[in-house]
Amino acid sequence: MTVKIVTDSLSDITSDIAEELGITVVPLTVLFGHETFLDRVTMTTDQFYHRLTRDSVWPTTTQPTPAAFIEVYNELAKETDEILVVTLSSKLSGTYQSALGARSMFEGKCRIEIIDSKLVAMGLGLIVITTAKKAQAGAKLNELTGAVVSALPRSHIAIYLDTLKYLAKGGRIGKAQGLLGSMLSVKPILTIKEGEIAPLTRMRSLSAGMDYLYNFAAGFANIEELAVEHATTPDAADRLVERLGSLFPKERIYQSTISPVVGTYAGPDALAITVLEAAKR
Amino acid sequence: MKQVDSINGQELREMLATATGWLEKSASDIDALNVFPVPDGDTGTNMLLTMRSSVEEAYRVADPSTATIAQAIARGALMGARGNSGVILSQIWRGLAQSLAETKSFSGSDLADALQQASITAYKGISNPVEGTILTVAREAAAAARAQAANGNNDLVAVMGAAVHAANESVANTPTLLPVLRDAGVVDAGGQGLYTILEGALRYLRGEAEQMKFRKPQIIVSSIPLTAKWSRMAAVDGEIYGYCTEFLLKGKELNPDKIRTRLEKKGKSLMVVGDETTTRVHIHTMDPGNVVRYATSLGTMHQVSIRNMDEQHQDFLEMQKERAPEVDIATVAVVSGDGLCDVFTSLGVTAIVPGGQTMNPSIKDLLQAVEAVASDKVIVLPNNKNVVLTAEQVQALTEKRIEIVPTKTIPQGVAALLAFDYEAGFETNAQLMRAAKSTVKTIEITRAIRAAQLDGLKIKKRQTIGLLDGELLAAGNNTIDILTKLLAKLDLKKTEIITIYYGADTELAEAEEVGASIREQYSGLQVEVIRGGQPYYNFIVSIE
Repeated sequence: MTVKIVTDSLSDITSDIAEELGITVVPLTVLFGHETFLDRVTMTTDQFYHRLTRDSVWPTTTQPTPAAFIEVYNELAKETDEILVVTLSSKLSGTYQSALGARSMFEGKCRIEIIDSKLVAMGLGLIVITTAKKAQAGAKLNELTGAVVSALPRSHIAIYLDTLKYLAKGGRIGKAQGLLGSMLSVKPILTIKEGEIAPLTRMRSLSAGMDYLYNFAAGFANIEELAVEHATTPDAADRLVERLGSLFPKERIYQSTISPVVGTYAGPDALAITVLEAAKR
Repeated sequence: MKQVDSINGQELREMLATATGWLEKSASDIDALNVFPVPDGDTGTNMLLTMRSSVEEAYRVADPSTATIAQAIARGALMGARGNSGVILSQIWRGLAQSLAETKSFSGSDLADALQQASITAYKGISNPVEGTILTVAREAAAAARAQAANGNNDLVAVMGAAVHAANESVANTPTLLPVLRDAGVVDAGGQGLYTILEGALRYLRGEAEQMKFRKPQIIVSSIPLTAKWSRMAAVDGEIYGYCTEFLLKGKELNPDKIRTRLEKKGKSLMVVGDETTTRVHIHTMDPGNVVRYATSLGTMHQVSIRNMDEQHQDFLEMQKERAPEVDIATVAVVSGDGLCDVFTSLGVTAIVPGGQTMNPSIKDLLQAVEAVASDKVIVLPNNKNVVLTAEQVQALTEKRIEIVPTKTIPQGVAALLAFDYEAGFETNAQLMRAAKSTVKTIEITRAIRAAQLDGLKIKKRQTIGLLDGELLAAGNNTIDILTKLLAKLDLKKTEIITIYYGADTELAEAEEVGASIREQYSGLQVEVIRGGQPYYNFIVSIE
């Protein structure tokens, strides 16, 4: 039986890829006051950013409930006896806790492994995608778990933000706090380090930021997978992909949008690049 | 979304128990927010213990009416109050109980009244209330609850929601009200504790008790510029704090007001709260014996705690040292003008040596700064061509590894500092900063100190002159004309941002005028006008 792969919506895996590779994506929730929306299920990315920039209500986000995971486990248990769950960083969300809680309450016979990726966005997505491919090729749970754990340190993300305003407001700023309060308008470039937001540097414009993202990818000698995602600027993402064509086959670059849940903290105009470095032989 | 019209006494104590459980999850995080000499080593723990005492007392009473439960909560808090924040918290519950004295079950508007009374009572218990603390948070949360209830919405969830929302904003704002918080880069611990309790209560009302098991309260982060001045915190070393003295006094016909007046001169951070049979006292005093003698003359003392705060302070300083942001690579910049100092500080420079044009710092000044920063790898930004040489002399005089990035102007220094890469090593950073400094052009506008003739330019004394990257290229009577002339010499195709720093002798209005004129001429560019406060130069313009 094929091992079933489960992740959360912060992996930014598009629905067609999820379908093609048999990945179950459990959505997180965005709340605008009393209205709740399932990440890219009951609210699209466009709708979200439209409200984020115009609504007076500040959105908040919540992890999936353990019940949501139990439902997924029960459903998948009908088809398989092994499930691998890879969640976003437990330091950024309680999703990992929910997945664990659900496993302790799950009464089926399936074996379930749950991994805290300590990553987010396509940093997580690329790992889930490569793992799902291996699962489809027939790899068993132990093998897949080992592959994920060894791949985690090879996933590198750089995120360009237009502003730190949303991150500060949401209280998820982590080690990037030092970038706050600049007297000049600056565009921070962040990464995820040990599961938390950490600063890389600062730029003063989008084009300088895009140069940085390009150079970030160019700094890796061996790229296994590459992903580019955006919040509200598809043109900028396209331009970046076009440039990256000189480093990596363009058609193999995964393009996606940044989750509204991340968008709550990243704000509009964010761009991100993820490099999955090839394993050293 | 869930609506709750009213709750009864049993639900009140369940709500409090849930909120206490919520607080427990972040008690240690709240402890970590403490700032000396704001009293209490462990605000989170103290508030938690106070809350536990309230909950225990509330479950001890047999009569489940709202008034009785509220009284029990207040009594439990008073008996078990620990630390400054615990005592204030006990006052908050006391006010709440007073307001709910006649109530069987309470609604949104009752809650708003109760929070209001809670805030008033909390202020009363303290001889000199300080803003930017738990008191401010209590008051602003109450005001928001009041406003929500006045809207005619009697739903408990809505009223509590408004209080929680306001408490969140209020906590985030505490560093603007209390400089000691701002310097330490944290929000007020007591305020954060109260916010967490209210938020826990809100979650109970929303019926989220089950989900809360898998979640953790959020510590609020302030978005105001943080200027962590660790050096200044070390400087208060000489102050003596004395003994933190706390006890519960039991007796007959005790008079808290009278006790407060009597103890006022005996120390600091005095709090006397309670009633004629039970009164809690908290004071920081040099002579606890004196306070104890007075107290025993009035009644019996219980739960006596006398702690040496100077010892606590030493522990605190040790802890701060461990917790101070580890600067792997330090940056030292030569800057003059308060506005420009703020700009450099806000971009994360480790130390500033005052100086610049016509006031070059000495080798000793620079060496001292290099030696003072808490890192053995230091990058120096001279920011003036006359300082570069001086900076280079420092290299031979220190054991530390030092790199001079020869920035000749302020804009070059800013560009270099911005390029700092948090993940890169020492040499890489020095390289990045060197490369970044050449990406900016600098225009400086000043006045000629004497008449001169230079490269075909006739310059009169006091005439306005313009320098492009240090080279005198234009003179005239009008800043905007000179600036336009110099900008015309540059290839602005790749330019995106022009930053105008105006000097100490220049008015904001004039700077805005210059900014507007450039915006008009170059519509595609982003133009920022910032007060530099620098002497000598009316304008320093950065073109990137």
